[in-house]
Amino acid sequence: MNILVCIKQVPDDSVEVTMGADGKPAVEGITPVVNAFDTYALEMATRLKETLDDGSEITALCIGPDSAKNSLKNCLAVGADYAYLVNNESVDETDAMGIAHILKGAVEKLVAEKGKFDLIFTGKEATDVALGHTGIYLAYKLGAAVITDAMDLEVKGDRVTVKHETEEGHRVIEAPLPVVLTVTKPAYDPRYPTIKNKMAARRKPIDELKLGDLVAMDQLTAKIRTVSEYEPPRRAAGVKIKEESEEESAVKAIQMMVDAKVL
Amino acid sequence: MRKEDTTSNVLVYVELADGAPVKAGLEALTPAHMLTEKNGGDVIAAVLGKGISDAAGLVAAAGADRVITVDSEELAEYDLDAYADILRQIIEKEKPDVVLLGGTGDGKDLAPKLAAIFDAAAAADVTDIKVDGEDAVFVTTEYSGAIYSDVLIEEARPGIATTRSGAFKKPECESRGSVEAADLKVSDGVVKTKVIDTVKEITEAVNLEDAEIIVSGGRGMGSKENFGLVEELAKILGGEVGATRPAIEDGWITKNHQIGQSGKVVAPKLYIAAGVSGAVQHLSGITGSDYIVAINKDEDAPIFSVANVGIVGDAMKVLPVMIEEIRKIREG
Repeated sequence: MNILVCIKQVPDDSVEVTMGADGKPAVEGITPVVNAFDTYALEMATRLKETLDDGSEITALCIGPDSAKNSLKNCLAVGADYAYLVNNESVDETDAMGIAHILKGAVEKLVAEKGKFDLIFTGKEATDVALGHTGIYLAYKLGAAVITDAMDLEVKGDRVTVKHETEEGHRVIEAPLPVVLTVTKPAYDPRYPTIKNKMAARRKPIDELKLGDLVAMDQLTAKIRTVSEYEPPRRAAGVKIKEESEEESAVKAIQMMVDAKVL
Repeated sequence: MRKEDTTSNVLVYVELADGAPVKAGLEALTPAHMLTEKNGGDVIAAVLGKGISDAAGLVAAAGADRVITVDSEELAEYDLDAYADILRQIIEKEKPDVVLLGGTGDGKDLAPKLAAIFDAAAAADVTDIKVDGEDAVFVTTEYSGAIYSDVLIEEARPGIATTRSGAFKKPECESRGSVEAADLKVSDGVVKTKVIDTVKEITEAVNLEDAEIIVSGGRGMGSKENFGLVEELAKILGGEVGATRPAIEDGWITKNHQIGQSGKVVAPKLYIAAGVSGAVQHLSGITGSDYIVAINKDEDAPIFSVANVGIVGDAMKVLPVMIEEIRKIREG
């Protein structure tokens, strides 16, 4: 099976982002990581590869700055066999549709080298902008089926059966390959790389695809534009209670709540 | 900027569950009215399914000027491709300027699917709308809610957006919208997937959006057993139970109780957070609360920066005392 996993590099989402002096979110100092949902996607793809055990291969693809090669190295250490970067540092502003255009161009380029992809995995959304649009856009542009919020999957012959998460439970959805899957948090955690795999990944190449070969620049014009970014209004902190015992603190807090007429 | 061949109408897709409109769908009627009040036009609701006349009536009475129903066997079960194709046909006929969808799981899939079909653009999880002349500026969040981002969809039409669950209140006005049945068929060849089973794991209804009192617990509660204290306090107060993502991932309570970035936005009169550290993902969903009480062992926990009253201490010791004291007050 020929599997593609599309990843995005994002600022570590455990760090709280604040606005910078330039009117943009100050993300430069925050460690770049592979988007959490994309790590779930790669883990799901890797488990599938291991289950099939038929010589299936995983290609990881990232659109991002040169520094995203590190993220791709990490992918190579936890299941990806090949890694490709599309450097987009020359693009000032695009939107998810523009990214999907680039991905489509990259998929077509890779298909010419490696044959068609049976499954394309990506995270359900990225932790930075949390749109959840790119996978659906890409599937539409490729004319492939899309199944979102995948928690688990099974491949039988040329069909895939997916457990798709819903608010109240899940649906079981089936589709003929090729399929684009957007992945939510499954029941398991992504693996950590072993030292051996890390060393091996360091020796593997990261191939670059040239943006200009994949897409016409006017396709990248953003249709949705950010007008302004700002921090939400802050609430003022109130009173902190720390009495001798928890019991005294609780009683004092209750009294304050009674005085404030919220009980 | 509105294109010449669009109307100033706003289309709202109102999703149904068990034959009734879902709250997120009705909430999306509110920003639709914000737009039509400024720029004219009607709020048109689209209701899809099978045997939906009662539901359509509810939507017509809940704030829609017109309700378009598509009632057919092939829409009995939701399918992304099928529903998007029907909505495409409605949009092509009605030419709305803006299409709004409640930010449910299905709404979040339909919005980008429609944007792809129309080669347009979509805003996600909109928490507010600012009407600037003819333009609708959508307020969205990024970086887990730490940053607000005002976005504008230019040229491409329709402008599509999902609304954040709980961010808008359902319209309070009653309306007498007309209901029109449209005889639309899913186009050949568009449906690529097949739903072979639908499994409901959660059956209880949780109404966090309208709750006046919410007691929520986070990872600091330590165990499912301890989380029971959160539920007990909520019960005594007549409030709802909320939870952070870690508490849900650990299986202490079902995910329809989740508050914050990937859950609901809430604005109760009283919000009590126990064992909640106050990650930005959670705080972004609770800052609209009138009065916040936080209990946490860690004096430096970020939750204290938004709390009116912060109790530094072990929630497992604080909660039983609070439960006892409130019981005394309630029993007068």
